[in-house]
Amino acid sequence: MANVDRREFLRLVGAGGVGAGAGFMLAESIKHPVEYLIPYPVPPEEFSPGIATWYNSVCGMCPAGCGISVRTREGRAKKIEGNPLHPVNQGRLCALGQAGLQVLYNPDRLTGPMIQNGERGDDAFVKATWEDGLSRTAERLAAARRDGIYVLSQGVRGHLANLFELFMGELGSDRLLHYDFAHPHPLYAANKRFFGEHQLPYYDIRNTRYLLSFGADYLTNWLSPVHHSLGFGHSRQGNDSSSNDGVRGRFVQIEPRMSISGAAADEWIPARPGTEGFLALGIAHHIVADGRYAGDDASLWRTALAGWSSGRVAGLTGVSEGTISRLAREFARAEPGLAIGGGAAGNHTNGVDTLVAVNALNYLVGNIGKAGGVVFNPDPVTGGSAIDRQANYRTMQNLIENARDGNIDVLIVNNTNPAFTLPRASGFREALAAIPTIVSLSSFMDETTLMADVLLPSHTYLEAWGDDMPQPGVGFPVGAISQPVVAPLYNSRSTGDIILGLVGKLGFNEAIPWTSMEDFLKDGWREIYERGSREPGDFDSFWRDVLVSGVWGENARRGGSVVIAPGVIEGMAVSAPRFSGESGEYPFILHAYLSTAMYDGRGANLPWMQELPDPMTSIVYGTWVEMNPATANEMGLADGDLVRVTSEKGSIEAPVVLFPAIMPDVVAMPIGQGHDALGRYARNRGANPIEILAPETESASGNLATSATRVALVATGRRAAPVKTGGESRQLGRGIVQSTGSRSAPAGHSAKLNSIPIIVESAVVESA
Amino acid sequence: MGVSIVPTLKVLKPAARFVVVATVGIVAGYFANAAFFPGTRPEQPIAFSHRIHAGDNEIPCLYCHVQARRSISAGVPSVNKCMGCHLEVAANRPQVRLLANYWENREPISWVKVHDLPDFVHFTHKRHVAAGIECQTCHGPVETMEVVSREAPMKMGLCLDCHRKNEVQHGIDCWTCHK
Repeated sequence: MANVDRREFLRLVGAGGVGAGAGFMLAESIKHPVEYLIPYPVPPEEFSPGIATWYNSVCGMCPAGCGISVRTREGRAKKIEGNPLHPVNQGRLCALGQAGLQVLYNPDRLTGPMIQNGERGDDAFVKATWEDGLSRTAERLAAARRDGIYVLSQGVRGHLANLFELFMGELGSDRLLHYDFAHPHPLYAANKRFFGEHQLPYYDIRNTRYLLSFGADYLTNWLSPVHHSLGFGHSRQGNDSSSNDGVRGRFVQIEPRMSISGAAADEWIPARPGTEGFLALGIAHHIVADGRYAGDDASLWRTALAGWSSGRVAGLTGVSEGTISRLAREFARAEPGLAIGGGAAGNHTNGVDTLVAVNALNYLVGNIGKAGGVVFNPDPVTGGSAIDRQANYRTMQNLIENARDGNIDVLIVNNTNPAFTLPRASGFREALAAIPTIVSLSSFMDETTLMADVLLPSHTYLEAWGDDMPQPGVGFPVGAISQPVVAPLYNSRSTGDIILGLVGKLGFNEAIPWTSMEDFLKDGWREIYERGSREPGDFDSFWRDVLVSGVWGENARRGGSVVIAPGVIEGMAVSAPRFSGESGEYPFILHAYLSTAMYDGRGANLPWMQELPDPMTSIVYGTWVEMNPATANEMGLADGDLVRVTSEKGSIEAPVVLFPAIMPDVVAMPIGQGHDALGRYARNRGANPIEILAPETESASGNLATSATRVALVATGRRAAPVKTGGESRQLGRGIVQSTGSRSAPAGHSAKLNSIPIIVESAVVESA
Repeated sequence: MGVSIVPTLKVLKPAARFVVVATVGIVAGYFANAAFFPGTRPEQPIAFSHRIHAGDNEIPCLYCHVQARRSISAGVPSVNKCMGCHLEVAANRPQVRLLANYWENREPISWVKVHDLPDFVHFTHKRHVAAGIECQTCHGPVETMEVVSREAPMKMGLCLDCHRKNEVQHGIDCWTCHK
C-alpha cells in the first residue's frame, strides 16, 4: 500500500464513484422509455387496436370540393388520400389536401374560446368557457342594430350555407358575405353575360382534342385542379373515349409567365398582359372570316368581329399574325376544341370582356353542351344560392366604408382572412379598429383573428359534420357528406354548432329548432333522399350508404338548345386594360400568382407545404421575384440579389430569381407567404405581394384586378439567395434533357428554357 | 481483497490508474442498474394476477387479448370487458374494487407495457397466432406469474432463432421485420 498514499486513495475512490454513477446513468439512458397500454373504458363498435379504419369525407383545403378517404388508427388520423368514388378527384389528391393532417395536428391551433383582454392586435387573450364566449357574443348581437350585424365567412356550401342564411334571417340582417381571395368573380360574370348562366359550366378537358387556355393555370389552382389534371392526362395520352377517339390532345397556354400548365402545354404563348381578350377576338375573327362558322347568326358575328383583324390584334398583343391564324385554324379543326380563361387574364381591369371573348370562341366552334366542350351544370342540390353571397372587392370596400362610418356593431368572421388577402391600400385593417365587437370562429390565430374580441374556435374539417356540393360541378348533381374522422382534439366546436349555440342563446329556437349540426345535416339530407326513387322510410340505410361511399350523385344532366344572351354578339368588345402607375416610373407589370403549395396563404402554416419545392423554380420557404434574365442583365441584377418591389401603394423586399419563361416587362411573385400571424411556421417568412397591389377593380365584376399593378424594382445592395432544392437549372452541356427541334414550332415563340438568357422576341418588338 | 490489485496499480502511472478505476466503476454501475432496476417487472396500477386468471381459472389468453388473432396488436381488454365478469365475480376483493372505481368514473386504466418492441420492428400478432405459436414462446409462463415480468429478452436473436428453427419463408430477410 506504500505507493498509494491517502490523497491518491481518495482520488481513486472519487474516480470509481463518478464512474459507477456514470455507468448507472448510461444504463438508465439506454433503457426503453416506459410505455403504457391504455384500453378504452368502452370501445367504439368495430374498433380494433392495430387495424386501420378508413372514413370517407370531403376535403376542406380549397373550394374544389374533392372527396377524401382518411386512414385512422386507434382514433387518430394518419393519412389522407383521394376518394376513388368521388367524381371530382377520382381517388387523387393534391399536396395541399394531403397536408390536411397538419391542419388537424397543428401546434398553433386555438384550443378553446378566448376573450381579448388588452389592446387589439396584442395577442393578449385569456381563456374563457363556451358559455361565456357564446353569451357575450349573443349579448352584443341582441344589442346591435339589425343592419349593423355583418357575418363574413369563407365560401361555404351545402347545409352550412343554409344554416348561415337561416341565422341571418332570424337576426334580421342581410349582411352575410362569403369572402375568398381566389373566387373567380370575372368568370361567373362572363358566363352570366354570355350565356345568362348563374352557375359555372363544366369544362370538359378530358374529352377535348385542343385546349386553348387564356391564363387559366388549370393544373395548379384554377377551379378544380385535381379534376383538370386527370382530364389533362386522359386527353394528352389520347386515351380512347367518347369524343377524342385515340387522338392525342394538344394544349396551348397563353400567359405572360409560364405556369405549371404552361410548362405542361405543347405551346406556350406570351401575349402582352391584359390583351388576352384581344387575342381571343382575333382568333374568333379568323374563324368567322375563314367561313368556319356556319350558324344562323354568322353575319352578326362577322360585323361584330370586323374590327379585330389579325394585323391589328398582332400589334396589340405582340403575338404574330401567323400564330393567330394558325391557332384559329387548329382550334376550329380540332372538333372538339375547348377554350378556357381565368387566372391573371381574368384579373385585369377588362377581365370579364376577356372571358366573354373566350366564351365566344367556344360558341363559334360549336362545342357548347357537347363532350369535350362547355357543359352546363345543373344547380347544386342545396345551398347553391350561396354563390351570390361571394363578396367581390367592391363589396369589401363597402364593408370597410361602413366600418369606418361606425355602421357596423358586430362582425363575425368565419375562417377567412381578409387582413392578409386584401391589399393594404384597402384600409381593411384600420377599418377593423372602428368595429366595436369582432368575433372570430377561426381555428388559427390569423391576421384577422388577431383583431377579434371574442374567439370561438371552430373544428377543423376533419372533426366536423358538414357537406359539400362542388361548384363548378361535373355536369351532374354531386354531393358529399363531411363526417368527423377523429374525436375533436381540443375544446373547439364545429362552425354549425357554434351558430346553433348562438341560436339557443338568442332564443331563435322556434325558427331554427336544431341543437346540433349533425341533426340539421341529417334533416337536410332527408330532403335529398326524398328526391330519389328509393323506398320511403329507408332513410337510415341511405344515410349510411352516403357516409360509407363518401359521395352521392344523380344521373341528371342538362339538355336543351344553346341560347346566348341577347345583344351579346353585337356588344362583343374588349376594353383596353388599365394599370396603376406610369410605365416610366413603374416599368414592370406585377404578375402575382397563387402559390402551388399555399394557395391564397392558408397553407403557409403547414410545414409540409413550406418544404414543398415550387414546381417551376424548386424554391422552398420564401418569396421571390421572377425576372427575365435579359431584363435582369440590363439592370445589373443577379440571381439572389435582394430587391425592393415598389408600387404606388407600397413596397416589399424579395430576392430576384432569373426565370427564362417570363416576358421581359413582367415580374412575377408567388402569393402565400409574408404572414405576420398564423403561427410559428407562417410568421415572418417572405413577403406578401397582395400588400402592394393597387385597389384597381375589374370593371364589370367589381373584383380586385390583381394583375393591374405596375411596379419598380430597386436593388438594395444586399443578397438573400432563396433556398432551392434543385440547384443548377441549366444543363451546362450535360444533355440531361434531350430535345429536338419541332418543324411546326413558330419561330417567334420557342422558349429555349435551357439557354439563359432568353428573350421572347415578339413581345419585345412591339412593346408600346 | 484490495491487496491483490495493488501490485497492478503500482506499475501503472497515476493517470492510467485513474482511468482503470473509473472504467471498472462504469461497468459496475451499469450492471448495478440492470440488476436492481431491470424494468422487466413494472408495477401496475392494479395488482392484476395472471396466475389467478390464466392459471387457476384457465381462461384462455385469447379470451381477453381478443385482438391477437386479427390485428398486429394483441390488445388489452377494455374496462367494460373486465366488468363483464367482475360485476359478480369476486366483487368485494380490494383490487376488484379498484377496478370498479375506474369503471364508475369511465376512466381508462394506464397499464404499463412489459413487452415492447422498438418502433423500427414490424411485428404482427395475427400471423404468429395463425401459425400456431404458443403465446408462452415469447411471453414466458404468464399463467404462473403473480406479476407479469419479461422473461424473454425480446431482442433480434430471439426472433431469428425461432424463424430459423421453423424455416419460416423469408423469415430471416431484413425487410420481413424492418419495413
